[in-house]
Amino acid sequence: MAEEAAHTEGGIRGIIQAYPREKRFILPLMQDIQKEYNYLPREALLTIANHVGVPFSKVYSMATFYKAFSLTPKGRYNIRVCDGTACHIKNSAVLIDQIYNNLGIKPGETTGDGMFSLETVNCLGACAIAPVVMVNEMVHPKVSSSGILDVIKRYKGGSDDAN
Amino acid sequence: MKILIDDLEVEVTHGETILTSARKAGIHIPTLCYHEAFEGQGRCRLCLVEVDCRGVKQVVTSCTYPVTEEITVRTSTPGIEKMRKNIVMLLYKQASASTILHDMYLEYGCSENSLSDNPEEKCMVCNLCVLACEEMGSSAISLIMRGTEKRAATPYDEASEVCLGCGACAAICPTQAIEVIERDGYRIIWNKKFTLLKCQHCGRSFATEEQLAYIDSKGKYADPDSLICLNCRRKMTAEKIGIFT
Repeated sequence: MAEEAAHTEGGIRGIIQAYPREKRFILPLMQDIQKEYNYLPREALLTIANHVGVPFSKVYSMATFYKAFSLTPKGRYNIRVCDGTACHIKNSAVLIDQIYNNLGIKPGETTGDGMFSLETVNCLGACAIAPVVMVNEMVHPKVSSSGILDVIKRYKGGSDDAN
Repeated sequence: MKILIDDLEVEVTHGETILTSARKAGIHIPTLCYHEAFEGQGRCRLCLVEVDCRGVKQVVTSCTYPVTEEITVRTSTPGIEKMRKNIVMLLYKQASASTILHDMYLEYGCSENSLSDNPEEKCMVCNLCVLACEEMGSSAISLIMRGTEKRAATPYDEASEVCLGCGACAAICPTQAIEVIERDGYRIIWNKKFTLLKCQHCGRSFATEEQLAYIDSKGKYADPDSLICLNCRRKMTAEKIGIFT
């Protein structure tokens, strides 16, 4: 575990040091770290603040402003349920309930085993195939209330071929 | 240049805001998020006025509108009053525990509606505390989250390393939303506990250790009177120059 933490710390520093020490790189920095670790560790935010010379509170403010960033670790499979107008009308709320019944997580939460996390998004831009669910980068179109259970089942094995 | 505010001719320097020009002329425009120490923020929207610029009328926030040409301003038309009433109602619904907002809610004659109160909340997210903290040089707090969840806080709501406990945030807050607990020589603010120092003269607690250390770090010379409170300093100066003899 300590080894992993040290590895993460080194990785973060590597990402951050690749950028010039300028305020305008705060967002790209956070995007890179979010992509690499699926969340923004506290250490990363502190290091960014020191690197570009901005108060920690300002960096934290930016990190909490954008939905694309998470401050808590995301699961291996991040389920994004679209709750835009079209998907909402097509019963996306039922999908969220179904996920809660099956995995016990609400939007913003992660399962205890770190396998799944759930979030809602305002529009995935694919209203024609509503309701849409994305699991990591995989799009699942026209998901029914029983269909969502099949989707979860496919990922539960933990095999990445589910993609 | 001259502009007309509520039929009164007011002399204005180029770029000055409508709000400061009006105040100089003694014309009252209500505000909540405005403080003389900072530029207008246009957050609370209470300072809305109607501007007539070459026949084109528009509603603007007077605290952020710089005067650059001859305009006519009306600070209180039926339309403006109606909007202000709505704004007061919304601000009250957001921070229903604030007494000043409650008083304004009654003063503006807002009527009950289906919007629910927020009975625990005093903060209307005007950002003045954040500006004050920044000005003090610590930037311990910022506005976090977004939309209806937006609020002022320290990172992770933890005791901030850089907070001096100076209380500038609480002093500037228009709705007294920031909790400061002072007892037994301690001050607790933003989840951090500070030891208060006592004035060598009157013995009253007046500043935190962190505050004085910060001031020391900024100054070139050590201040021999650093442990004397502002009140006593004033008295001492007054005695020195013989005001009260």
